[in-house]
Amino acid sequence: MFSEWAAWAIIALPLAAFAINAFIVRPLGAPAARLAGYVTVTALAVTLVLSVLALMAVQDAHGTAGYEPHLWFAVGPFDMTIGIFLDPLTAIMLIVVSSISLLVQVYSLGYMRREPAHGGHAAEERAVHAGAAHAHDAHGHGGDAPVGDGVSREHPYADYPRYFAYMGLFTASMLGLVLSSNLIQLFIFWELVGLSSYLLIGFYHWRPSAAAAAKKAFIVTRIGDFGFLLALLYIFSHRAELMAAGLNPFDIRDLHQAAPLLGPGVVTWIALGLFAGAVGKSAQFPLHTWLPDAMEGPTPVSSLIHAATMVAAGVFLMARMFPLFEESATALNLIALTGGFTALFATSMGLVVHDIKRVLAFSTVSQLGYMMLAVGVGAPVIAMFHLFNHAFFKCLLFLGSGSVHHSVHTFDMRKMGGLKRWMPVTYVTVLIGAISLAGIFPLAGFWSKDEILVAAWEGDTVGRLVFLFGIGAAFMTAFYSFRMIYLTFHGEFRGGIDAVPMAERIPDEAHHAVHRHESPRVMTTPMVVLAGAAVLSGIVANAPFDLGIVPAHWFAHFLEEEAPHFNWPIAIVSTLVALGGIGLATLMYRTNAISAEGMALTLKPFHVLLSRRYYMDELYEGLIVRRVLYRGVFQAADWIDRHIVDGTVDLAGWLGRNTGRAMAQVQTGQVQLYGVGIALGVVVILLVLLTQGGG
Amino acid sequence: MNFSLIWPEVLIAALGFIILTVDLVLPRSQERRRNVVTGSIAAAGMLAILVFSIFYLRGRVGVLGADLYLADRFALAFKFMFLGAGIAVVLMSIEYVGSRIRHPGEYYALLVFSVLGAVLLAGAGDLLVAYISLELLSFSLYILVAMSRGDRRSAEASTKYILLGALSSALMLYGISMLYGPSGTTSFRGLAGFLFYNFSPTVAVGFALFVAGLGFKLSVVPFHLWAPDVYEGAPTPVTAHISVLSKAAAFALALRFFIEAGSPTHERWALALAVLAALTMAVGTLTALPQRNIKRLMAYSSIAQVGFVLMGIVANTPLATDAVLLHLAGYAFTNLAAFMAIIALEHRTGNEEIAGFAGLAARAPFAAMVLSAALFSLAGLPFFAGFVTKFYLFTATADAGYIWLVVVAVLGSLISLYYYIMVMKQMYMGTAADGKPLAVSRLTFATLLLLFAGIVAIGIYPAPFAEALESATAVFAPFAGR
Repeated sequence: MFSEWAAWAIIALPLAAFAINAFIVRPLGAPAARLAGYVTVTALAVTLVLSVLALMAVQDAHGTAGYEPHLWFAVGPFDMTIGIFLDPLTAIMLIVVSSISLLVQVYSLGYMRREPAHGGHAAEERAVHAGAAHAHDAHGHGGDAPVGDGVSREHPYADYPRYFAYMGLFTASMLGLVLSSNLIQLFIFWELVGLSSYLLIGFYHWRPSAAAAAKKAFIVTRIGDFGFLLALLYIFSHRAELMAAGLNPFDIRDLHQAAPLLGPGVVTWIALGLFAGAVGKSAQFPLHTWLPDAMEGPTPVSSLIHAATMVAAGVFLMARMFPLFEESATALNLIALTGGFTALFATSMGLVVHDIKRVLAFSTVSQLGYMMLAVGVGAPVIAMFHLFNHAFFKCLLFLGSGSVHHSVHTFDMRKMGGLKRWMPVTYVTVLIGAISLAGIFPLAGFWSKDEILVAAWEGDTVGRLVFLFGIGAAFMTAFYSFRMIYLTFHGEFRGGIDAVPMAERIPDEAHHAVHRHESPRVMTTPMVVLAGAAVLSGIVANAPFDLGIVPAHWFAHFLEEEAPHFNWPIAIVSTLVALGGIGLATLMYRTNAISAEGMALTLKPFHVLLSRRYYMDELYEGLIVRRVLYRGVFQAADWIDRHIVDGTVDLAGWLGRNTGRAMAQVQTGQVQLYGVGIALGVVVILLVLLTQGGG
Repeated sequence: MNFSLIWPEVLIAALGFIILTVDLVLPRSQERRRNVVTGSIAAAGMLAILVFSIFYLRGRVGVLGADLYLADRFALAFKFMFLGAGIAVVLMSIEYVGSRIRHPGEYYALLVFSVLGAVLLAGAGDLLVAYISLELLSFSLYILVAMSRGDRRSAEASTKYILLGALSSALMLYGISMLYGPSGTTSFRGLAGFLFYNFSPTVAVGFALFVAGLGFKLSVVPFHLWAPDVYEGAPTPVTAHISVLSKAAAFALALRFFIEAGSPTHERWALALAVLAALTMAVGTLTALPQRNIKRLMAYSSIAQVGFVLMGIVANTPLATDAVLLHLAGYAFTNLAAFMAIIALEHRTGNEEIAGFAGLAARAPFAAMVLSAALFSLAGLPFFAGFVTKFYLFTATADAGYIWLVVVAVLGSLISLYYYIMVMKQMYMGTAADGKPLAVSRLTFATLLLLFAGIVAIGIYPAPFAEALESATAVFAPFAGR
């Protein structure tokens, strides 16, 4: 039996790591900074152990471990509750989040360590940037001495306390989200995830691009969150029906039974509102624009965001609330179409980018599209299976890109090439990740992608349509995965950061030079572990046949779903398509049989369209924000604010102050006058008493 | 009569006398030692009685005499609140008394007697018991207000308090006699039926006079005029004591009287009380705006708070009664924390002006933070007790149909934010003439931390408090018309 205290401890431990790092380690300054990493790693190691125990308990209990929700506050008949909801879905997510987070933290121990400076110029420049940091984050850093985080920026562990504090908060928020038994509770953690991702994407807040990316991520996801909030309010407005049936309007278990009470129309609107939240968090079209920019954070952060914490929240919400979605065909079709379209749309943009992390970012958007597609065709378990597999190989790929950066100090693939010569571990692990991403038998990505395609194929018209989207996306995914491998690891080395002119470098990195070495073991070990998972997670967790220790289709049965069946034609088609993508990439980037530049020239309009990401950013920033909102709405609002609102406020303030002064005049200090007040009071009470009911 | 039910009350009285005796025994030359010893006895004694009551009174409820004195869960809840507040006031006094008050033993003994008066008031089921308990509370407070050493404002405040207190006490007694005359009973429960059938003008006069006397204790507008002068003149811990203990005690009486005696005639008196509530909120809030002295500001702020609580009595529903108790509990934590912080800051700077709080956030960051939290709580912002308790209170009042009253309350809360934030603005944005850090003693720090934890606990997780208080208000379940 897994006690409820242990479940709360899963949230509390990383939160404690946050508190310790933020309030104890950080004020201690330089000598203690190094401890921050160990605090978070230890907390997460225990969390992982607890998560495994939770999984085993759920397995033994054959379903939900029932914890009674606790009353948070009550207003009249409405009870607002909080609690732990630990079912197989949560148990799986706990494993994903805590294991990925632990590996990322271990990796960060190496990655976030600063390298010693290479001379006076660089040190001077960084001091300037540390000054800028002061101005940006005045409340956090205000009184600290001597610069920045209370530790000189030259210190190798200068970034540790703040980084590991935020990471603790981020992980705690996500774990709290998956454990929530109440939709409002879930929403609170949902927003905390948004907040901590904002803090981490903007970790290098002295870089304007990082500050902008953090803001963009926060604002774009907020647009989706608004839909979530509307759904909550809409549920609340229908609380009477639910409470009459003895259900708590926000309890997730109760909401699972709520659909028949609410009727299809209401359910559709609620589902669409929740889906809007998921579109924002899981970076689906049209709110996908924040994710590629979120690369500005430290690479391990991207890894965590893309694999387990931030973007997974949207898919998790869909799976969590699926009993509600199930009742609305409209909502499901919209989800399937959005997911399928996003899968195709995002992969196409991944074809042309040069930044290795952005390639991965677009692949995340499209893989999330696959998951949404699976939810939309009525297969949330398969979506979760893909999320599970994707978490491992995507985390691996990002850690690999960070490892590459550790050596060449750039993310631009045009400046790489031939890295496999001195980065054998990184090469092999990233290659495994790429094959898994491409969906080649028998790696993890193959199994879940294949099941998604089968589920889509077996659906109705919408299902068939999104199946085609999925096949198209599979081809392009395989292509750009291997384009990335070839450009990064094969061929001649093209100079790394040494080939970047001084003027184009990010100031923080201006002093760096290429080191031809493999990353330290603290970074490669997590990658090797993840590579093992990327190979095995698919086949072991949901094997089509009995493996001895693990029964066949364990994952699906665990989530109480029928086993998906293996469809040979679709498996063969999707594998051929993926191999075709790899083949084309080989021809273009390995053997150079087809000239990539020539292709770009021939298809120039397409190439430009893709490079500019379909002009979506321009559409949002230029047209909607600048023209429509800024010139139209904001300026009108500004006028109203200045003339009407301020005027009213000023008047009210003037009135209040002067009435107050007038009233204070009564306060003369004369006891006689006070006595008159008492007498008057008696008269007033008496008059009102006598007029009421004709005494 | 089953006197075993009032052991806690007997022990509180005994504690007062023990303190007086110890004060006599200790040599007069060692003033510092007398302060620490008698203060410690007062705090430890009340804590011991509090713990004793928890175990002793579990399952022991009953009535003494014919509705004279009620030892029920409602009285018990207030007993805890008063003893807790008394301990907090003693803790905030110890440093203050050392330098500013001449007779420490008498000071602590009077504090204990005032707690006794409040405890008795919460158990009173009869007009005369209520009157005597109220007088015990008031007389203790009259003297406490005057105890500031060499401060003429203190003596002046006490004189005003006594004069006006005597007037209102006379009015109340006159009211009681006019209720007793025609009805022949002084018990609340006995009065209920009589009032319902015989609400003649004579009885109405009696009722109005009793309410006026109560209004004085509660500082309801227009019986409030004494409050700012007394708050300003009294030693600051006594101000805290008046603002929490005497308010909560008067509300305990008001709840009991209006529910037990007034429920059947609710429609007759509700409007009169609603008018007073609205006036109290409006005048309290607006007059607070131009204040320059922190203690006068707190006086008007607590007048406005009284208006909020009065709404719950006007509404007279079980939900509203729960809300009143919860708000009083939250308000006790909040106001004690605010005064504790004000004492910590004022005691060292010697400045009661709000302008004198400039730059205190840098000099005493913890005390400034607690004061800010308390002020936010008073304004009713989330994460702090005030938000939750006001939310309950406003919801209950609106549910009972007094929407207009809630509108006044919401506007009042909105305006009140202004003067609370002005204090914070001084602390955080202002610059101090003297930038040296202010030392905060360990005792003060610990008490502040405890009170702060209370504010945040009620603000974030109110359910346990609300549930505990619901069992206290369950005693009113049998009263008709509710």
